[in-house]
Amino acid sequence: MGPADERMELDSDEKIPLSTPPSARKSHTFDFEAVHFSPRAGPLKLWIRKQMKFRPLRSIYIVLLTAKINILLPFGPLAILLHYLTGKHGLVFFFSLLGITPLAERLGYATEQLAFYTGSTVGGLLNATFGNATEMIISIYALKNGMIRVVQQSLLGSILSNMLLVLGCAFFTGGIVHHEKVQVFSKAAALVNSGLLLMAVMGLMFPAVLHFTHTEVHFGKSELALSRFSSCIMLVAYASYIFFQLKVQPNLYGQISQEGAHEEDSEDEEAPEITQWEAIGWLAILTLWVSILSGYLVDAIQGASDSLHIPVAFISVILLPIVGNAAEHASAIMFAVKDKLDITLGVAIGSSTQISMFVIPFCVVFGWLMGQPMDLNFQLFETATLFVAVLVVAFMLQEGTSNYFKGLMLILCYLIVAASFFVHVDPSNDDD
Amino acid sequence: MDHKSQLRTSHQFEMGSLEGRSVHEPEDKNHICGSENITQKSDLISVSEGGPFSGVSLVGRMEMLIYGVCRSIKTVIFSNKLNFLMPFGPLAIVVHLLTDNQGLVFFFSLLGITPLAERLGYATEQLAFFTGSTVGGLLNATFGNATELIISIHALRGGMIRVVQQSLLGSILSNMLLVLGCAFFSGGIVFIKKEQLFNKSTAVVNSGLLLMAVMGLLFPAVLHYTHSEVHFGKSELALSRFSSCIMLIAYGAYLYYQLKTEVHQYAPLNEEVSPSVSGGENVDNNDEEPEISKWEAIIWLAVMTAWISFLSDYLVDAIDGASKAWRIPIAFISVILLPIVGNAAEHASAIMFAMKDKLDISLGVAIGSSTQIAMFGIPFCVVVGWVMGRPMDLNFHLFETAVLFITVLVVAFLLQEGTSNYFKGLMLMLCYLIVAASFFVHVDPTNDVASLET
Repeated sequence: MGPADERMELDSDEKIPLSTPPSARKSHTFDFEAVHFSPRAGPLKLWIRKQMKFRPLRSIYIVLLTAKINILLPFGPLAILLHYLTGKHGLVFFFSLLGITPLAERLGYATEQLAFYTGSTVGGLLNATFGNATEMIISIYALKNGMIRVVQQSLLGSILSNMLLVLGCAFFTGGIVHHEKVQVFSKAAALVNSGLLLMAVMGLMFPAVLHFTHTEVHFGKSELALSRFSSCIMLVAYASYIFFQLKVQPNLYGQISQEGAHEEDSEDEEAPEITQWEAIGWLAILTLWVSILSGYLVDAIQGASDSLHIPVAFISVILLPIVGNAAEHASAIMFAVKDKLDITLGVAIGSSTQISMFVIPFCVVFGWLMGQPMDLNFQLFETATLFVAVLVVAFMLQEGTSNYFKGLMLILCYLIVAASFFVHVDPSNDDD
Repeated sequence: MDHKSQLRTSHQFEMGSLEGRSVHEPEDKNHICGSENITQKSDLISVSEGGPFSGVSLVGRMEMLIYGVCRSIKTVIFSNKLNFLMPFGPLAIVVHLLTDNQGLVFFFSLLGITPLAERLGYATEQLAFFTGSTVGGLLNATFGNATELIISIHALRGGMIRVVQQSLLGSILSNMLLVLGCAFFSGGIVFIKKEQLFNKSTAVVNSGLLLMAVMGLLFPAVLHYTHSEVHFGKSELALSRFSSCIMLIAYGAYLYYQLKTEVHQYAPLNEEVSPSVSGGENVDNNDEEPEISKWEAIIWLAVMTAWISFLSDYLVDAIDGASKAWRIPIAFISVILLPIVGNAAEHASAIMFAMKDKLDISLGVAIGSSTQIAMFGIPFCVVVGWVMGRPMDLNFHLFETAVLFITVLVVAFLLQEGTSNYFKGLMLMLCYLIVAASFFVHVDPTNDVASLET
């Protein structure tokens, strides 16, 4: 049992591949396919089967237990329990929010792992589409329940939180850590993103102003038709943006998509940690989990607003996105501290662009298919807020440099926006 | 072309000993080598005033005049492919007199004006050869958008103030988004390997001027809309007139600044005038020499202006009827349809220059035209309205002003980097689609009262 002894020794160490012959073993490669059965069948087979049972366990370990954020995982089932046992919507809301946070982060992780296998092109596309999967799932749930204002406000809040809070914290911490120099980032990418954000604001502004000045041909209906048309145009623009990024600037986008540089001093591994099928499997499981929890989350919003005595607008615009973006927040700050501002920008502004040019039009089209009157008329106050925020951020970004003061300004702007929404009552939401 | 060769042969018969000189006859192609023609003409003139032919000089002179006129007509009217649209002009008038089909009248007069607008630009350009680059630049700056100005003045006279405002606004939007977008897109596709560059400072100055124009338009609109004027309705008109004068001063100063301090860089805005653009060599196949004489250019300028004036009368009268016949809002016709056709020639030339990697000229055509309309065309119309007693003001109403504002911002952002690629062009074109769609469902309360279909 000489070789088996060796293998048993190897097996006790978690990071070593499952069953490659020792001669071919490299320190970081996994070779899950090559399961060798020795000629001495009986007890070995049992033993190997035992090894294979470790694989899903190992997978669970890697995916669920290695990230510190996952201590919040139990809050998910706890929220469901609370929903059925008590009527306290406030607590249900709070707990489901806490429960979704780690799931969102793991979803991002699984997408990233899958990107290793599919190459940088499809990986970039994956990230572009599923980067904000959590927001999309929550929005689709709310849309199905007809809570159109919640959808609009939560997406708007996600854009604002990415542009102001996440970016501001990243610039601030990066600026403090590297305070003797000015951090630089790629101006070109920032400008293209600013242009796209402005185009999205344009798409949102016209239906709002048209409706507000009562100058539509058919009151209420024209503006919906315009919203749907504009959404299709915005989706076309987003698709060509992705195409353009992948064709013309593959390096820049590859960096952004994987969020873990292929450059020198990174302590992330170059190799994926789970197999391709595991990644897909986890993607499906996590999506399912997030869906279930968002169901409870969305149902509890109204009750939470009543019991906590805060406007629904504040919950949708400020609270929901902060938690939903917690993982991106953490990674953006981390990369800024490591002086990799391009990746930070990709996470923050890229996410805003993605939501404004892809998720919002996607929700409109989806609502169109479902027969829900979701439109781009975000009402005047929200549209004005977005407009000014985009202008401020676009101006800050156009120089291509960053320092802690810019970060502080962005954070303070976000505080002003949050305060405005704290005292904002939406006539179509709150009837009291 | 038969016409011309007939004349040529008749001349050869009459002035036999000149056969040697008439070897310089130009070949039958579109762009005649101007210098040879002019030399030939002056040769003929000098000969006919000389000795042995004084006997036939009167007939000779008349034939020369006819020859000159015919050649001029050939150069100006027949050498451009766009001009096959010319018959639509008279056709529009015929249709107007014979039938009541306003839709057709509108459509035909639109088609008829297009080649005239292009030839007007051509004549201005030719005149610029003779007047030097300074006055030439001024000419282009003033008459570059003569078509829009003429149409607007006609509409003003008819009291259709909203049409004036909307057609000028639409011209700005179409230049900034559609023309520029198509130019960037086609240039980017052709030069897909590299990023095209253009002069950042000119673009930034133009963006600044456009923003100033938006400011001039925004204040009367917001003042009126928030009901915070001292005298409701009147203060805002007075403010508009004052602001227009300021904007005209600003535009005058801008021209002065351009012509004085940036002589070499302004030349590109004149669309293929100066050789300094192409680095001292004739890279493009446009001639350096003028094709018609100075007086011909002036006369053609006058003829074209008169023709356009005439046709725009029919055009403006048919707008209302066309809107009812085609069931589309007047706003859409004024903002989208009118300018697209009016700018067709500029559109084509901007795309052509972008594909030849001369983005500065494209920008001059597109953004320069927008600036011109915003800072000169609109205030000029307000002042003309003031003189004519029409209450034309800068209050373009909230929706149009908001559209202009956001559009100027988007374009200013895209231009500030000084580079272009096909994606930026695509974005601009898609933005134009969104704007067009917004106007398709936009009903202007002061325009469509009876024609609203609910």
